[in-house]
Amino acid sequence: MSRKQVKGEYIETDTGNKVARKAVLVGTQHIMLGGKTVIQAEVMIRGDLARTAQPSSTPSAAPSSNTAVAIGRYCFLSKGCCLRPPGRIYKGFVHSITQSLSPVNPLAPHAATITVVQSFTYLPLRLGDHVFVGEGTVVQAATVGSHVHIGQNVVVGEFAIIKDYVRVLDGTVVPPNMVIPSFSVVAGQPARVVGEVPEGGHEAFELRELYKTIGNNPQPLPV
Amino acid sequence: MASFTPYTYIQCPCHDSTSQSRTADDAPPPTTTLPELSENDDDHAFDPRAHRSTFSLYPLEHLLYCDVCHQIRCPRCVTEELVTIYCPNCLFEVGTSSLKTEGNRLTSDYLHLNKSLTAANRTLTLDAHVAVSNARYVSAPWPSKLSKPPPDPTLLSADSATPIPPGPWVLTCSYCHWNSSEIGVKFDKPQGIFGQLQKLRYGEDQSKHVVSGDTSPTKTDSVPETNKARFAALKSFYGSQTVGANPGAGLSGLGDYGLNSPGALTRIMSIYSGNINGLKPKTKSSVMREADSPNEGFQLSDLDEGAAISQLRRDGWDGTVTGDQAKTQVEEGAQFADQLWPIPYLLRAKRSKRCPVCRHIISKPESKVSNTRWRIRLIANNSIPSISIKPLNPPPGSGLLKPLQPAHFLLTFKNPLFDDVKVTLATPATTPGRFASRVTVLCPEFQIDANPDNDMYLDDVLKDGEKERQRRRGDEGIHQAEAGKIWERGRNWVSIIVEVIPSSLRIEPPPAILVKDGDPEPDLSPLREDEDVLEIPMFVRLEWESEASHDQVGAATSREKDAKEKRELAYWCAIGIGRISQE
Ligand SMILES: [Zn+2]
Ligand SMILES: [Zn+2]
Ligand SMILES: [Zn+2]
Ligand SMILES: [Zn+2]
Repeated sequence: MSRKQVKGEYIETDTGNKVARKAVLVGTQHIMLGGKTVIQAEVMIRGDLARTAQPSSTPSAAPSSNTAVAIGRYCFLSKGCCLRPPGRIYKGFVHSITQSLSPVNPLAPHAATITVVQSFTYLPLRLGDHVFVGEGTVVQAATVGSHVHIGQNVVVGEFAIIKDYVRVLDGTVVPPNMVIPSFSVVAGQPARVVGEVPEGGHEAFELRELYKTIGNNPQPLPV
Repeated sequence: MASFTPYTYIQCPCHDSTSQSRTADDAPPPTTTLPELSENDDDHAFDPRAHRSTFSLYPLEHLLYCDVCHQIRCPRCVTEELVTIYCPNCLFEVGTSSLKTEGNRLTSDYLHLNKSLTAANRTLTLDAHVAVSNARYVSAPWPSKLSKPPPDPTLLSADSATPIPPGPWVLTCSYCHWNSSEIGVKFDKPQGIFGQLQKLRYGEDQSKHVVSGDTSPTKTDSVPETNKARFAALKSFYGSQTVGANPGAGLSGLGDYGLNSPGALTRIMSIYSGNINGLKPKTKSSVMREADSPNEGFQLSDLDEGAAISQLRRDGWDGTVTGDQAKTQVEEGAQFADQLWPIPYLLRAKRSKRCPVCRHIISKPESKVSNTRWRIRLIANNSIPSISIKPLNPPPGSGLLKPLQPAHFLLTFKNPLFDDVKVTLATPATTPGRFASRVTVLCPEFQIDANPDNDMYLDDVLKDGEKERQRRRGDEGIHQAEAGKIWERGRNWVSIIVEVIPSSLRIEPPPAILVKDGDPEPDLSPLREDEDVLEIPMFVRLEWESEASHDQVGAATSREKDAKEKRELAYWCAIGIGRISQE
C-alpha cells in the first residue's frame, strides 16, 4: 500500500499491521488481520486451507465468511512460526432424510435410507487479541483466546481450544482436541496444566509495548 | 551451564510473624534448633539461601497487597474460598451440592457428548470405535454444554441431528493413539461413561464398591471391596459406635464441617475423655469396640507379597507405574501398569482470597467459568516498585561473572503509585553463604516520581517530552557510576548501579594464619546446586505520603480534608544477578 519506505523490512498497513516482507502468507483473501499485528520473517500463514466442504443446503452463508485464519489485534507472530487451520474428515447425513428419522428405532432406517456424505474439510483457526506465538511454533488450534502466550517450538494440535490468559511454555506439545482453561500454565509432551497464572501476572500478556519495538521505525521498550 | 535470567523475589511479611509466633508458643527453644537462623532473626539480616526462606520468597506477580493493612500478602498466608468449581476439560460448572455427594471428580457426564477422562496419565477423548464405522469424527470437539457457536452450523448440525451411531465406543488418546480397547474398556453408548466404567470394573452390584452418597451407611450384609467403600464402611461403623457411646457426639457430624469447627473439637474431646481416660462415670453400653468384620470395613493386611514380587520379576521396571501415575491414581492403588484405570478429571476451582489479618477480600474472580474478569484484584504490582536487573556493559561470551573482577549492574525501580516514593536500600557488604561476593550499592537512597495517569494518549505525548528532558539531562553528563548518584531517571522510574565483586568458587581451606582456635571446620564439600548463583539479599524501605484511606477519615476530621498520610513499607528481597564462572 504505502510506498514511503521502499526498502523497509516490514510492510506497514493502514490498520497498523507490520508484516515482514519475508513472511509467507498463502491465500491472503482468507486471512483476516484485526490490526496492530506483527508478522515476522519466515512466518507462514496457510490461508489457502480454507473450508472446502460447502454443502448445498447453505443459502445463508455469505461468501465473505470463508475465513481460514482470523487474527485479532496486537498479536505477535515470531520468526518461523506457522498458523495452519485444522482439518478433518467429516461424515454427515443428508439433512432432509435425517429429520424424517423415526426416533423410536434409529437403527432400522439408518442403514436403509440415509445417504452418507463424506468429505474432508478445513475449519477456521481463530486467534484473539494479544496472542504471542513463539519462534518455530506450529498452531493448528480451533480457537486461541485473548492474552495467550505460546512459547517457542510448541506444537498446538488440531482443534485444540486455548482459552484466555494461558501461558504455553517452550517445547510443549498440546495434543489435538485438548481444551486448556483460562489462567493455566501448560508444559510437557503431552501438555499438562503445570501451574496457574497468578493474579499479578495478567498485565504481562499485554503486547502493546512489544508492538512498538518492531517495524521500520522501532522504539525501545520502555523501562 | 543453563542460561540465567536475573530475578527478584520478595519476602512476604508472614515469614516474620511465623518465626515470632513459633518462639513464643512452641516448646523448642531457638538455641537448640536452628541456631544460625534465630541469630539472623535477631539482627534482621536475611539469608535467601536459608531453608526456611524458600517458602517466603515470591516473584512480584504472585503477591497481593491488602490496602487496609497496607501490607504484602502471599499465596501462603491468604485464606482461599471457593467461588466456582468446574471441569477443566469441558469447562462445565459443577454445583457444590453434587460435589458433596460425588467427590472432586467429574462424574455426571450426561451432558457431554465428548467426555474426556485420564487413564494411565493420558488425556482421553471418547470416540466411536473406528472399526465400526467412519463415525470417528461425529463427536464434536465442542461439548454440547459449552454452547460455543460452531463455525458452520450446517457442517456440524449432523452431530446433533443424527442418531448416535452404534457402538462400541472407546476412549482414545489423541497424543499417542492409545485406546481403551487395549485394556478391554468399551462402552455401549457415549453417555454415562463414569457409570459404565464402574460397571465394567465391579460388575452389576455396585453397592459394594461405589459410595453413592455421604450419609447412607453401607448395607450391613455387603462386603466393601474398594478402599473408598471400605473407608465409607469404617466411617459409618465408627459413627454409629460414637453415637451409641455418647448420643449427640457422633463422628458422623464431623463429615460436613471438617475438623476445624469448634463443635467438632469438643465432640472429639468428649469421645476421648469419655472413653479412654475413664474420668467420667459411664455405662457399660458406652464401651466402644473396634471394627472387626469385613462388612464394617475391616480388612486383614495381606502380608504375602509373593505375587507382586513375581510380577515385578516378570515385567521389570517398565511394568510398574511411574511416580506421577501412582500419584494421580491414588484411589485405584495401582502398583503395576496393568492395574491402571481410566479416572475422571480432577475438578478445578476459581478461588477468592482474603487477607489473613483483617479478613478483607483482596482477590475475587467473576464467578462464571467463561468470564475472565475480576471483581477485586489487589495486586502487589500496583503498590510496590518493580525491580529489573540488567548488566551495565553486557559481558562478552558466556555471560558468566568473572570471579574477583568488579562488575556493574543496573537496577531499575519503577514506581506504580500515584505519589512520589522515597526508597532506601540496604545490603550486607558480602553475600551470605560459602562464597561471599562483595556488594556495593552506589546510591542507596533516592526518590522516584509518581506514576502519571494511565491515559494512553497522554502517555505518548508526555513520552516525547520526556525524551527531550532526557536528552538535555544527557548533556549534563549524568551517566557516571559515581557513589551517591543515580544513573538515570525517568518519569516514574530510577536506575541505580550496584557493583559486585564475585567470589572465587575455588574450594580450598582458609590460610592457616587466619584460622583461630575453636573456629568451625571449614566446609570443603563440592559445589552444590545453584551455589554459583550470585544472589544479593536487599532490604527495601519505601516512604511516601498518600491520601488518607477511607476507614481513617473519621479520625482525621479535625484536620483538613486532603490531609496526607505518611506511609512506610519495608521488606527483604533476593536479587539474582548471575552465575559465577568456575575457573
Ligand atoms: Zn505471606
Ligand atoms: Zn468435563
Ligand atoms: Zn497418549
Ligand atoms: Zn488486611
